[in-house]
Amino acid sequence: MDIIIKDLKKTFGEKVAVDIPELTIHSGELLGLVGNNGAGKSTLFRLILDLIKADTGTVHMKGTDVEINVAETEVWKDWTGAFVDESFLIDYLTPDEYFQFIARLTDTTDEQLQEFLAQYQHFMADELAGQKKLIRTLSAGNKQKVGIMAAMLLRPKVLILDEPLNFLDPSSQNAIKHLLKKYNEETGATILVSSHNLQHTVDISERIVLLEHGKVIHDIDNKEKQAQDILENYFEIND
Amino acid sequence: MNKYRLYKLICKNADLKEERHPMLEKNRFMKFLMIFMWLYYAAILLFMGVVMAMGMRNSYNGVAAFHVFDGGLLYLLITDFWVRFILQETPAQQAQPYALLPVRRSFLMNIYLTRSGLAWGNLYWGFLLVPFALIAITIPLGWGATIGWLLGWWLLLVMNGYAYLFCRALILKHMAWLLLPLAIHGALLAIMLVPDKNPLDMPSTLMMYDFLQWKLWPFLLVGALIALLYWANYKLQMGMVHDEVGKKEEKEIKHATQFNFLNRYGKLGEYLKLEVKQRLRNKTVRMSFLAGLSMMVLFSVIMYFSDVYDNNFMRSFICLYNYIVLGMMTLVMIMCYEGNYIDGLMSRRESILQLLTAKYYFNVTLLLIPPIILLPLMIIGKMSIWMNVGYFFFTAGVLYPLLFQMAVYNDNTLPMNTKITSKQGNTAQQIVSIVILFLPIGLEKAATALLGEPWGYVFLAVLGIAGVATHHYWLRNVYTRFMARRYKNMEGFRASRNS
Repeated sequence: MDIIIKDLKKTFGEKVAVDIPELTIHSGELLGLVGNNGAGKSTLFRLILDLIKADTGTVHMKGTDVEINVAETEVWKDWTGAFVDESFLIDYLTPDEYFQFIARLTDTTDEQLQEFLAQYQHFMADELAGQKKLIRTLSAGNKQKVGIMAAMLLRPKVLILDEPLNFLDPSSQNAIKHLLKKYNEETGATILVSSHNLQHTVDISERIVLLEHGKVIHDIDNKEKQAQDILENYFEIND
Repeated sequence: MNKYRLYKLICKNADLKEERHPMLEKNRFMKFLMIFMWLYYAAILLFMGVVMAMGMRNSYNGVAAFHVFDGGLLYLLITDFWVRFILQETPAQQAQPYALLPVRRSFLMNIYLTRSGLAWGNLYWGFLLVPFALIAITIPLGWGATIGWLLGWWLLLVMNGYAYLFCRALILKHMAWLLLPLAIHGALLAIMLVPDKNPLDMPSTLMMYDFLQWKLWPFLLVGALIALLYWANYKLQMGMVHDEVGKKEEKEIKHATQFNFLNRYGKLGEYLKLEVKQRLRNKTVRMSFLAGLSMMVLFSVIMYFSDVYDNNFMRSFICLYNYIVLGMMTLVMIMCYEGNYIDGLMSRRESILQLLTAKYYFNVTLLLIPPIILLPLMIIGKMSIWMNVGYFFFTAGVLYPLLFQMAVYNDNTLPMNTKITSKQGNTAQQIVSIVILFLPIGLEKAATALLGEPWGYVFLAVLGIAGVATHHYWLRNVYTRFMARRYKNMEGFRASRNS
């Protein structure tokens, strides 16, 4: 599924949060979005997910037999999974109940759900499945895991994760890296991931977009991991 | 920083918290509306004060108007107590942000308890009391008596405020403590209402008369009670601050009931489960549900055992109240709790429509409770079955659709699980509640006057059945309008989340 952004602009008062004349994320791409705080990463994700109104411009999703403007229809929600922050979680449910809720909404059978959970048992580290803990009592890292898994549960063609590595321990960060890479290879889904962790982003992304004050200042082909130097230079890591 | 400067700073922060509430900051109209409502209620109290002073003087020959008024002292204090639940925060909640700063907790607690006692809110009843006193006391007895009487009332309201804070803190520790004020006030109301003559009338009147005459004992008595309640609050609330800071919800829930019988309804069943679990697992939602249920039972019990509500208006009001209150308490704030996870809901196709439909079915199911509570009244003939039938359908098919319109306009997130609730709902929502509570009675009276006793209620029922039959259409209409306003609403939900 292609994501086509045209003349997209969003301002909050005087501050320009997103200003992208044109950007296409191609079907099957795993795109890393990087930038300093306030660069516009989360705002861009929210615009793509139709959670905030653009001042101008459009976001289209285009497949082999369909092209839609996300602001004009809800059909894209059937093939899109996302986790941006805790406002995606119904925190008075247990993780199992939440997964079941999402599964039933997406016509996933109980067997398929169990199969899915079994597949990610290692990632959950016995702290989520089968527990009688409400999501609101979980640690920030475990909440993050619930959100990521719920986003992936419906096997989306488009997966959007805002800083999925936040709050996760190093083992879980590695696990999520491999999980995203594997999911991308197996399903050919278009995946957008933002992160402040440059190393992990460079490791998994085949393309990296660097945002500054809402504008795309670098669009880097990273198939050969060539983004490393540009990003280190930009973020002045070696100074 | 010296203690006085610290005191000024904390007071300033407390004022800023109110002034900078996101709902007021982003909405000038809301600010205007709040001021308007403040003045509106003040005007009503002012009017009541004058009318009561004049009316009591003329109606009770030989008995001074203030004696008649003072006989109802406990009614006013009970009303004042429950109104505080909507408007007053507890000191533990206010002190919490400072709990980890280098400020002595005892100093903070004394500031907040003193502020609670000296709060302007305790003077709001002055809009009723001052005009009453000017007419009923100043003219016959002079300024000294007036000031003594008003001072006595103020001390009683301060005492009531501390009693409220104490009960509120206990309730926050465990919901069962709600039974304490309910039992005390229920017992007081029973003592005052059941016998032919109110036995508490005379002691109340005497005490207020002695305030008026500047006798020492009532000042000492109420002063001592204030000191006692202040001390009790201090002890209790200090522990509460500690609890709040180290607050950890129990890690595991005891019963994770799955409500599997709802699975047969597919996606709708999942949203119905959300409705049930939202009430069972969130303190704020659960508390408002139980409070509504308690009031239903209380009204019905009073009506059953006494004749105080045996008039046409109160009969209609209690019937309507029983049918609408559980739905109204949540539907007037419809979507506000969902504001906590609105982004997740909006990421699913037509989830808001499914959610609204589930809310409607859930609330219609709740309408099965009032006939059970009101059944004894129907059996003894104090309330007609037709009135129940009329209000049952009218609520389901007319009042609920009206309340569901709020889903289009509500855009403030409300916390679901805070131990200590701050203001629930905004002024617009309060206005809708008042309209919903009184407008139908006018319609019922008009319908029964025009069509006669059973047919008036049949008319209400027919209107309701039409609303029930068309629920798919009007729910979709609400959903479509919600989606048209979605960006504005989502912005509001985000801005008010965690505020």
